[in-house]
Amino acid sequence: MQCKLATPRVPLPLAAAILILGAAACTSLPVDPEGTLDRVRGGTLRAGAVENDPWVTVEGGDLGGVEVRLLEEFAAGLEADIEWTAGSEQELFGALNQGQLDVVVGGLVSDNPNSLHSAFTHPYVTSQVVVGTPPDLKDEDIAGIEVSVEAGTEAAGVLVKTDAVPVFVDDIAEASGAAAVEKWLLDDLELEDTGVRLLESDHVMAVRLGENGWMVELELFLLERPGEIQRLIDDEGAL
Amino acid sequence: MSWGTGFELPPEKARIARRARRLEWATIGFFVTAVTAVYLAMGSSQAMKAAWIEDLLAFIPPIAFLVANRIRYRQPNERYPYGYHRAVAIGFLISAFALLTLGGYIVYDSIMKLISFEHPPIGVVQPFGEPIWLGWLMIAALLYTLGPAVILGRLKLPLAASLHDKILYADAEMNRADWMTAGAAILGILGIRFGLWWTDAVAALAISVGIVNDGIKSLGAAVGELMAKRPRTVDDSGDDPLQARIETELRRLSWVKDVRVRLREEGHVFYGEAAIVPSTIDDPIGRIEEAAETAQSLDWRMHDLVVSLAPEVPEFESGRPEGASR
Repeated sequence: MQCKLATPRVPLPLAAAILILGAAACTSLPVDPEGTLDRVRGGTLRAGAVENDPWVTVEGGDLGGVEVRLLEEFAAGLEADIEWTAGSEQELFGALNQGQLDVVVGGLVSDNPNSLHSAFTHPYVTSQVVVGTPPDLKDEDIAGIEVSVEAGTEAAGVLVKTDAVPVFVDDIAEASGAAAVEKWLLDDLELEDTGVRLLESDHVMAVRLGENGWMVELELFLLERPGEIQRLIDDEGAL
Repeated sequence: MSWGTGFELPPEKARIARRARRLEWATIGFFVTAVTAVYLAMGSSQAMKAAWIEDLLAFIPPIAFLVANRIRYRQPNERYPYGYHRAVAIGFLISAFALLTLGGYIVYDSIMKLISFEHPPIGVVQPFGEPIWLGWLMIAALLYTLGPAVILGRLKLPLAASLHDKILYADAEMNRADWMTAGAAILGILGIRFGLWWTDAVAALAISVGIVNDGIKSLGAAVGELMAKRPRTVDDSGDDPLQARIETELRRLSWVKDVRVRLREEGHVFYGEAAIVPSTIDDPIGRIEEAAETAQSLDWRMHDLVVSLAPEVPEFESGRPEGASR
């Protein structure tokens, strides 16, 4: 039978890839197409901040909060000044996409839809909304018990779907008895964790799409200090 | 007399067919692990998604092959008087379409990436507690899919030719397309490592041209087979020589003045007719049987040849038949 077979080909891309890989192995971090990291180092970091307590707080024109503190420390490590722009998520992501900002913070979580046109860092901390009960009322099961929750929050919506009896309050600090709160508030409110998790959020920062060297620098900074970030959250999140 | 005989492959071909089946099962098994590996390395990035979809498409030809192989051996019956051979042709059509879809998808994806100036983001991950650049994990996953795809494709080519199996051939081409796109993706990630955001798309685009070309060729061959086109070789490089051989051999019979054969492919095997102009008309049944046996002994694929005696050999006419609409 006469069948012409395709001549065997040396997998050239493979060979080339391995060669370049070997050459690249000594410096294993990526480079920015637009040179963000080089520009910021010893220069100016242009940061956008969306108000979102306790991650970003705005009091009388002064910025504070967990992520503002983190970025200040990050910029100090790069010997850079920070030029802050406060605004809405819509505005700041627009500016980020256009390369007018280098980073946007504001309690962003990993499933934020803006991830399509910007790059999110590896989640650096996970926050949880849990149900806590006073120590004398320790109960593992929330079915049928009254649980306070702040009205108009995502946690309130989730709580409604459980077997608990939701009690909507304006300020969780004034609630008594069991409450659905961010985990870092448990000790402030003298509550104990029941183990019931209503929400879980992976927190990220947003950088310009494709500035991988810049992104990796920030990611490594965040991933190296989990203990410090937890302390910051406990401090900034205190009532 | 029976319409159900001769449906087995010759023993040595049956052995090869079993090997091909094992190879296709191995392909499926391997791609399950490859799809998992690439999925795990994909993270939240869009850059690896194309490579992953490609791996998913690579399941189609082996599945088409195995399904067609279960069906094709069934005996002809009242409902399917010509048997089930064409299951193979349908499997080939599906495989060819998968190949074309793959090529088309890569062309679309790369062009969109280039015109939207999409800079792929690849950050760090912490799979084992230590932060590592996801790009290295992606390359590891792609290298893992690359090696076996090269080997599987190479092993399938000679089997495809020997079995006259076009699904297997399309599958071998799919494997080639697969490792080449994996190679392109590796180059792309290395480019991203060096801050060149466009290498991924350009490398993929260069390779997709070849894949689209293979896809169109295979799709044309599959449609041709279903249209009962004159048989072609497995790689569609030329007409299959069997028709000419049968005509030559039949002309050698002392009582054959002239002969004309037409064949069509039914999956792996050929069906067809031979119109013979005899020089004598005694013992027509014996002579027809002699002609059919002569033809069928030439090649295992010559499955069913209907021999008729004719006053002159039929010819194809040029031009359009009367009443044909334009």
